[in-house]
Amino acid sequence: MPKHAGGRPAGDGIPPAGTYVEEKQVIENFLATGAEEAFCALFEAVCVRLRRYFLLRGLDAATAEDLTQNVFVKVYRQKGELRAADHFYGWLFAIARNELISYWRLEQSGGEKVEFESLGDRHASSLVTEPEVLPAMRLMDLLKALEPAERDLVVLRFVEGLSYEELAVALRLPLGTIKWRIFNARKKLSRIIAASPEGRARQRIN
Amino acid sequence: MKHGITELEWNDYLDDRAAAEVRDRIEAHFIGCLECWEFYEQVSGATEELVEASEEARHGLTLEDRQLHLMLRGVFSRLRVEDAGGTVQAQVRGRLNLLETVLAPFCGAQAAASALQAAAKNSPARSLEQVTPDNWEPFLEKLTAIAAAMCGETFAGLIRESGQF
Repeated sequence: MPKHAGGRPAGDGIPPAGTYVEEKQVIENFLATGAEEAFCALFEAVCVRLRRYFLLRGLDAATAEDLTQNVFVKVYRQKGELRAADHFYGWLFAIARNELISYWRLEQSGGEKVEFESLGDRHASSLVTEPEVLPAMRLMDLLKALEPAERDLVVLRFVEGLSYEELAVALRLPLGTIKWRIFNARKKLSRIIAASPEGRARQRIN
Repeated sequence: MKHGITELEWNDYLDDRAAAEVRDRIEAHFIGCLECWEFYEQVSGATEELVEASEEARHGLTLEDRQLHLMLRGVFSRLRVEDAGGTVQAQVRGRLNLLETVLAPFCGAQAAASALQAAAKNSPARSLEQVTPDNWEPFLEKLTAIAAAMCGETFAGLIRESGQF
């Protein structure tokens, strides 16, 4: 069965920002027409990335899928707000981040969740195909060492390949602050890696 | 800033996006400063590890077509539910406007608006904005009682009739 990895092609290790031609065309088409067909194409191109963002920010698969769908409802409703495809990912992840913050607030307050129309048992059970616990990944270990705000930056920059300009839009921060925070996250991770058994072994080899 | 290199310059250099003048200055500094060279080695090594771990995450967290299509169906389902909610709210607004139109000639526009607000406030809706089909009936009862007090039972009957969904 075909799998969607949902990424822009790797260049210098970090996927390039906003340059993947096919994906950009899909985004431009959606912004220009707002048609359902264009929305479906956009969903196929981008869904996996949103879901992955939520998973890497610590949500279980079911919640990640729920919030991903919420974000797409907002994208569909608010499509008129955005004109330039170049700003799409900054805009998209700004919505995703707000959705995540709202979810955490609701969780902390123990608030009542609003349930949407049920898909029925047959469909609902087939939605959960991924185990609740993420497969062991080095990135999760690295992210654990960072503050929540730094995790956002690292996931959006290194996994999703957002440019600094897109990050500034997504996180509503000045460009210089974004670069400064990325550098500090790098420094923090370098200290953690150096102190790990693998890091110490590498130092001995060097 | 340490040794004349700012954090932003370090970051640009690590991204291989530093201006030529900055790159040359940092590389000239490395020749005489072991501390900065070691720092660069450590941070660039960590960045490489981060890039590899991110690549692994991109390949590890994929979606099958079936999941993707179920999620897309879910999005359209949510949009339909929201649209239906919007239509119902529009019907409620329309009905409130009708009631105000019926009331106004008998008691004046201001009193009509106040009567609607008072009925909503004293019903489970608590405000006009919160009136929905679910709490419509007790709201209409309150409004009928207010209309009876203001203009008599016959007029109250007209309000009750006009307010039926």
